Amino acid sequence: MRRLGVLILLALALPGTAWAHATLEQTSPKIGQRLAVSPRMVTLTFDQSVRVLSNGIQVFDAKGRIVSGPPRASLSDPRVIVAPLRRLPKGAYTVRWATISNDSHVGRGVFTFGVRVKAPPINQAYGASGPTTSEHIVRWLYFVSLALLTGGLGFRLLVLRGPLAPATERRFYRVTGIGVVAALEVGIVAFLLRAEDALQLPFTAFLYGDLSPFAHTTRLGQAFVAMELGFAVVAALLFLAWLTGRGGLLWLAFVLSLGLGSGLSLASHQSDDRGWLPSFADWVHLSAATLWIGGLLSLGLVVWNDRQLRRTAFWRFSEIAGPLVALVVAAGVYMSFKRFPAPHDLWDVGYGQLLLVKLGLVSLALSWGAFHHLVVRPRLDRPAVARHLPRSLAGEATVAVAILLLAAILVDSKPPAKPSNTVLQGSGSALPSAVVRK
Amino acid sequence: MQPPSEHVHWLFATGILFLGLLLLSEAIVGRDVWRRRPWRAYLWPSLLFGLGVFMWPVMVFFTNSTVHMLAHSAWAQTMMVAGAAELGLVSGKLRGEWWKLAVPVAFAVSGAAFLIHEANPWFYARSAFVHHVCGWTLLVGALFPLGAAFKPRSWVFNTGFALVFVAVAVALYTSRDVAPIFGHLNTSAGVAHR
Repeated sequence: MRRLGVLILLALALPGTAWAHATLEQTSPKIGQRLAVSPRMVTLTFDQSVRVLSNGIQVFDAKGRIVSGPPRASLSDPRVIVAPLRRLPKGAYTVRWATISNDSHVGRGVFTFGVRVKAPPINQAYGASGPTTSEHIVRWLYFVSLALLTGGLGFRLLVLRGPLAPATERRFYRVTGIGVVAALEVGIVAFLLRAEDALQLPFTAFLYGDLSPFAHTTRLGQAFVAMELGFAVVAALLFLAWLTGRGGLLWLAFVLSLGLGSGLSLASHQSDDRGWLPSFADWVHLSAATLWIGGLLSLGLVVWNDRQLRRTAFWRFSEIAGPLVALVVAAGVYMSFKRFPAPHDLWDVGYGQLLLVKLGLVSLALSWGAFHHLVVRPRLDRPAVARHLPRSLAGEATVAVAILLLAAILVDSKPPAKPSNTVLQGSGSALPSAVVRK
Repeated sequence: MQPPSEHVHWLFATGILFLGLLLLSEAIVGRDVWRRRPWRAYLWPSLLFGLGVFMWPVMVFFTNSTVHMLAHSAWAQTMMVAGAAELGLVSGKLRGEWWKLAVPVAFAVSGAAFLIHEANPWFYARSAFVHHVCGWTLLVGALFPLGAAFKPRSWVFNTGFALVFVAVAVALYTSRDVAPIFGHLNTSAGVAHR
């Protein structure tokens, strides 16, 4: 026992190596830097000494040719490794690095820079891939969790209002609680999958991959940071609202979660280079859709067992569903105009074809909603109608959740490119974007 | 601009130490005396919940490796869940006996996260040693809140529960590779940069 105590004291008192493995502190060229002239070498500075691997620094041009020489440790500082570069012509470059730190972990990372051009985002580094099917599914789950959270909160505050029966209140907190936990967890998975696309590492190596350039220099990474922090606060607000019964906290959680949806819009293709209005339209589209679909889900999951409340809830939800759907459609039509340089892109390009399928499903859901509003609502007191309505609502909600899946694939996909100005000027006519891309 | 990781460890060590001292006070004076003022019952669960919320910035800003990010996320979530469950129990909003297991489960998950994200043996380096100390302290220490869940007035279980937090806090304070108060002594850590 005494020996163990001495060992522990010794281990804690004597100096040790850094907490965990080496962290990349500085790079030259800087991550995402645009350089006016070709750099002579790439320099990586870590927070502790590192050993150089044979592929410790590899610099690729846009075509995947290696333009760097063998890496070596700096003679003056064991924390620094360098690799010489040949004279680089104008273009985008990708640096992939790997080192062994004192704790024997192999750390890996990737970043980009440009010579006389803007550096590409890290998810467009040479060798990066994706989005994959897993990413489509994860983004869909993200939309569903947002619908449960934001839509659930909106439904509680705008449709149900006032105090609820304890059982209904419990169901509300369960649904929104699942939504906020899912938003946090799915957000982490989505970020890791996208980072893995850029790093292109096997699983065990990916565990020690450096995610910092991805988290801090890409729009998706910045959205991840903001949304994880925001949803952690929303989770705390939701819990405190449940604990204290203060409705004001629910309003705070609702406004915050509604605002956090903008993270997805800012990280999507809508904000590529088309100004703030498409991003805003995308956020309106997403927010209205989550309120609509989340409301539908809440109607079934939270309210339907409460016989006294469901009639009122159905009536009130029908009233706000109309304006929400109008917002979804208006913002969607605007974005379609912005996305499609030529109308025939809708059927010529895969992105357009997918959008047509989504529009078909949206039309089905709208018709279903109109049927509920115009036919079912006036007859709600009839026992036969009340008996069959839950199945009909579940059908409408299923179509709505399927729309979210298509939306997830569309958000992950690249819309048709805008026609090139030079081609337009030269030819004097608007070529189809598909031809321009070729 | 990020603070050095050791400063973050010290901040959390302070919070965890304070939490441990609150629990130790309760164990020494007894639950009945401690809860004569009802707000005292909310102190340590609120602090645990708050520490969980404040762990999220650490998770998203210290992304130098995937495994560390995931470990921080696990600690953030377990602290929030355990704190929330205790607050629910204290306030009477939660009545299920099973919720008393939230803290021992949180200890076990947090300890496992310490051990899983450390790939090296005990004496490889200070960081490895401290990770193992924290991991095993929490894993073995989970027995104390587990015992307290079944025997809430047991002095041994309650004191042991408090001392687990104190031990973890002390271990976290030893994260001080380039700490100015101890100097930069290890040559393998490279040139001092602060």
